[in-house]
Parts: sequence; structure tokens; C-alpha cells
Amino acid sequence: MTGAELLIDLLAKHGVKEVFGYPGGAIMPIYDALYGAPVKHYLTRHEQGAGFAAVGYARSTGKLGVCFATSGPGATNLITSLADAMMDSVPVLAITGQVPTAAIGSDAFQEVDVLGMSLSCTKHSYMVERAEDLAEVLQEAMHLALSGRPGPVLVDIPKDIQLAQVPFHPWLALEEEASELDMNEVVKAEQLLAQAKKPVAYVGGGVHNANAQAELMQFLNKTHMPAVSTLKALGSVLPDYEYDLGMLGMHGGQAANIAVQECDVLVCIGARFDDRVTGNLAKFASKAKVIHLDIDPAEVGKRKPAAASMIGDLKATIPHLACFVTDAQWLAHTLEMKKTHAWRYDYPGEKVFAPYLLNELSKRMPNTGVVCCDVGQHQMWVAQHMKFTSPHNHLSSGGAGTMGFGLPAAIGAQIARPDDMVITVSGDGSIMMNIQELATIRRNNLPVKILILDNQRLGMVRQWQQLFFEGRYSETNLSDNPDFVQLAAVFGIPGQTITHASEVDAAVDALVASEGPYILHACIDDKENVWPLVPPGAANDEMMTENA
Amino acid sequence: MKHQLNIAVKQQSVAIERFLRVVRHRGFQLLDLALEGQDELFQVKMTVDSDKPIYLLTSQLSKLVEVKQVELQPMQQQAIG
Repeated sequence: MTGAELLIDLLAKHGVKEVFGYPGGAIMPIYDALYGAPVKHYLTRHEQGAGFAAVGYARSTGKLGVCFATSGPGATNLITSLADAMMDSVPVLAITGQVPTAAIGSDAFQEVDVLGMSLSCTKHSYMVERAEDLAEVLQEAMHLALSGRPGPVLVDIPKDIQLAQVPFHPWLALEEEASELDMNEVVKAEQLLAQAKKPVAYVGGGVHNANAQAELMQFLNKTHMPAVSTLKALGSVLPDYEYDLGMLGMHGGQAANIAVQECDVLVCIGARFDDRVTGNLAKFASKAKVIHLDIDPAEVGKRKPAAASMIGDLKATIPHLACFVTDAQWLAHTLEMKKTHAWRYDYPGEKVFAPYLLNELSKRMPNTGVVCCDVGQHQMWVAQHMKFTSPHNHLSSGGAGTMGFGLPAAIGAQIARPDDMVITVSGDGSIMMNIQELATIRRNNLPVKILILDNQRLGMVRQWQQLFFEGRYSETNLSDNPDFVQLAAVFGIPGQTITHASEVDAAVDALVASEGPYILHACIDDKENVWPLVPPGAANDEMMTENA
Repeated sequence: MKHQLNIAVKQQSVAIERFLRVVRHRGFQLLDLALEGQDELFQVKMTVDSDKPIYLLTSQLSKLVEVKQVELQPMQQQAIG
């Protein structure tokens, strides 16, 4: 068996049925081994597309996402997707071909020091130096990507090792090291909760990574604790939970942000006090003592000190918190805030109002549907105005904020979940960053739906230029974009453009009802902004609103 | 504030690159570094300086796959001048 054949064999044994990639010189033996193999390869039209398809595949299922690229520029094109997976803790295995061992360090054709480049954007990385190490490295890499706090792992394989005969290796039984929960910290947490008058649960992406939604909901249903969510956590708290206050942070809801600012105990569950969540950190939840639950001890105290910390698998740690019932007065206050600051969709103008459109889409999509966002204003509108019952169904580039994420991530999600509806919601800026992947949709006849909210601007940057840069609109006008419906038609994708509010309902129906791929190009008001907004340096209760 | 760390790390050049990258990226200045190969490990003695609490570095270093042990040593002022 060659090294290349071993790779494909191990992937298949690990249950990997689909991989994404793009061939090239230094990875040709692996592509040769793929020919006729039980692992199906999906050719994207750019390595970044392959990387994000693997991310979408992983995020929509919890399974390992796998991508292949050749050496040099193939590998460098993968790097952004790996950085994205690193920031959002996504289990991805990246396999890159490398020039032959003897040529490494000689500045050979398409040679880049991929291992060196990977250090800052992977959980771990390897360059295989000996053929006899390959089996162990690959199995360890798959285990690492999925275990503990998940993340991307890269394995760089020189071409001669792909071609070498490698010894057979049995399947390694790699087990996760379980850390023992410090019961002194549990007692501290229980004491804090016993004294709490205004507790809030601050829910992060770790809950989903730990597959602990059931434990979270049991805890919330028992304690009635008001809950706020990060962008990545949306869907973990079920939308019918009475005390769900939605997303907090820079574009969070007012009720969520005010509740956190007023709370006296903040229970952080698998979140990391990201700067987009906290605003001015010194002023964030300044009256609160923090109880921090996480699998990664490095997150505790990294940005905000914890009065009690429970390190371990959230499935095991969350149940320890269900030891009290939230004060009725605080619950009444949070419900009043939720009512006062509820979203409104009675937009007076004739133009398409993006929040209304997304809310209608949310109501008409099956709750098993997947939404893959790009990055910018539309991304925040999705987070504010659509409801999800699992983070598997809301894929959004959170930590890295990568424009171009949505379309290839949707391709990965659609391949992973062929029976579920997958919609990418993009902007007229983001969609152009990986537009070549329309060819992948066509090639595989994928029923991915595309919604473009087009304000002919790089909207979020334009919003900041308006608010904080004295209206100096530097390089944010995109009014010379192509006609998106015509562009999609070239790839065999039907669709329509709408420009008026009166067209929204029927257009959303057509999008949802389409059996194959479809594009809805919605021209929205170019002056519409995302509200509320916590301006830079401000506390989260110092939100700017549309009418302020 | 200065801190001295003893770190046991797999005896591979990339392991040294990886942990030094973390030292720099997490905002710690490297003042002194010595390493010695022993039983497939590098025993690293390192002095760093930063305004940040040292656990922000030790917690990140401890996560690295190749790092086997991280020990914070009591600081000897005379030893680092």
C-alpha cells in the first residue's frame, strides 16, 4: 500500500465519506488513490472554497470536515479557511501535498513552508518526514481535530511519502483525556448562585461543540435563568424559551445587553468574552461575579476574571448549576425589557427592508433548514431576525469574520445534509469573494439557495464611515457589480431580482419553494444600517439606535 | 514583570518554533532562552517579561501538543541581571 492509498483507506475507516479539494502537482498520488475510491471527492474551483466547504460540512454536522490542496499556492489558499476554523473551533483536517523530501528547502517549484505557515492558524500541524510515521500521524490528526476543544489540523505530506510503500498499521485506539472537575469550584459556584438576585446565562459556541444543548435546556428550564447568546451559540437556546433574550454584543438586542450590564452573577457557558461581545471590557457586566464553564482552561481569566471556574466537558459540568430558581422580580424585569425592546418590522418605506425579509424567510423555512451567512450587515440581520433550533443550522464566520465564507460553506452543508434546505445569505460584497463556487453548485446539481441583500455598498464599512469617519466613503461603493441574476443564469441557476417591499413575500415563497438552486437578488435601501450598535470604546448599555 | 519558566517539549525544531510563536503572539518578551536535548525532549529554560499575568502564557503553552510540562520557577533577580 502506498502512502496515498493509506490516507484514503484511513479516511474511509474513520467514516469520512466526502472530501473537498483541488488537485495539483505535489498531491497527484493522493488524487490517483482517490480515483475509484469509496471516499467521494468534490472539486471546488479554488482551494479556499474547499476549505470553507469542509468547514460548512463540519459545522452543519459535528463531523470531521476534510480538504485537500497541493503544495505552494494550493496550500496558501487554504490558510484563510483554517484560520476561520481555528477561531470558531471547527474540526477540520487539511491535507496538503508537499514537494519531495529531497527538494524541501531548495526553493523548488510550488514549494512553500506550509508547516511554518500553519503554526498560527491550526490547533496542530505536521509535516510527515518518514513514510513509517504516516499512519500514526494521520490517526492522531483526526483525533486531535475532533477531541477536546475542536479545531483544524494540517498534515503536509511530501510527494515521495505519498508514493512510498508504507507498513500496515492497525487502527489506533486514541482516547480523550478527561479532566477531573474541581469540586471546590463547584461549591463556590453554587454559593454564588444561592446569593444571586439577577443572574444571567451567557451561552457560547462551546455548548454546541460539547453537544450539550439538552443539558443547557434542562438547566434553563429548571432555573428559569435569563439567557443571552453569542453569534456562534444562536440555536443552542431554543427560541421558545421564555427568558431567551437573544444575541448580546455590538449588534445584540437591547434587552440582552442591558440584562448583562445589570446582572450580579454572569454564568459564562462555553464562551470567551470576545471583544465583539463585551464592548468596553472594563465596563462589561461590571456588577457581576463570573462563573466560567469551559473545556479550555486557557479561556478562564483570559479576558475577565472568574470567581468560580468549572473546567471540563460541558455535558458534565452544566448539570451542577441547576441548584436554584431565579428571583421572580428579576424575571419580570427581563420579560418587560424583552417586550419593550422587541424587534419591529413595520418599516414605513417602499424599499425592501432586510430585517422584514429575513424574518419572513425564517418563518417560512423548515426548522431543519441551514442558513450560511457571509460577513457584514446581512450577517448581523440574520443573527437578529432569524430563529434557529440548533447551531448546526446557523453557520456564520464569527471569530475570523471571513467574507466569502457563505457560498462554499453552504456547499459543504448541502453535501453533508442532502435532504435539508440550505440557504446562503450574502451581501453584494461578500458573494463576489468566492463567486467561482457557483460552478461547484452546477457541477454537482446542488439545490443550494442564494439570497443576496444588495445595497450596492460594502455596507458595514459604509455604516462605520457614516458614523465614525465623517461620511468619507472610501472604496465602499459597489454599484458597478454585475447583474447577479444574469451571472447565476450563466451557471444554470434561475432566480429573480426584487426592488420593492410589496414583492418580498412572494419572492421568499419562490425561494423556499424552489426545488433546485435558486437566487433571490433583493435590492435593499443603500442607507439602511444595522441597529442597535455599541460604538467603539463604549459599554454595551451605551447603544446607538436608529432614532437616537 | 519577569518570569522564569522550565518547559519540557518534544525534541523537534517545529515544537520550539510553535511555542516561541505563542510567547511572542501572547505579548511576552523573550529575555533569555536555553535548551538541552534529553530523552527525546528539549528541556527549555526561558525568561520572559510582560505586564500581563503569567498564567495567560502558561495556559496557552500547556495546550500545545508537543509541550509535555510547563513549570513556573521562583524568580532569581540576580540571575537575570
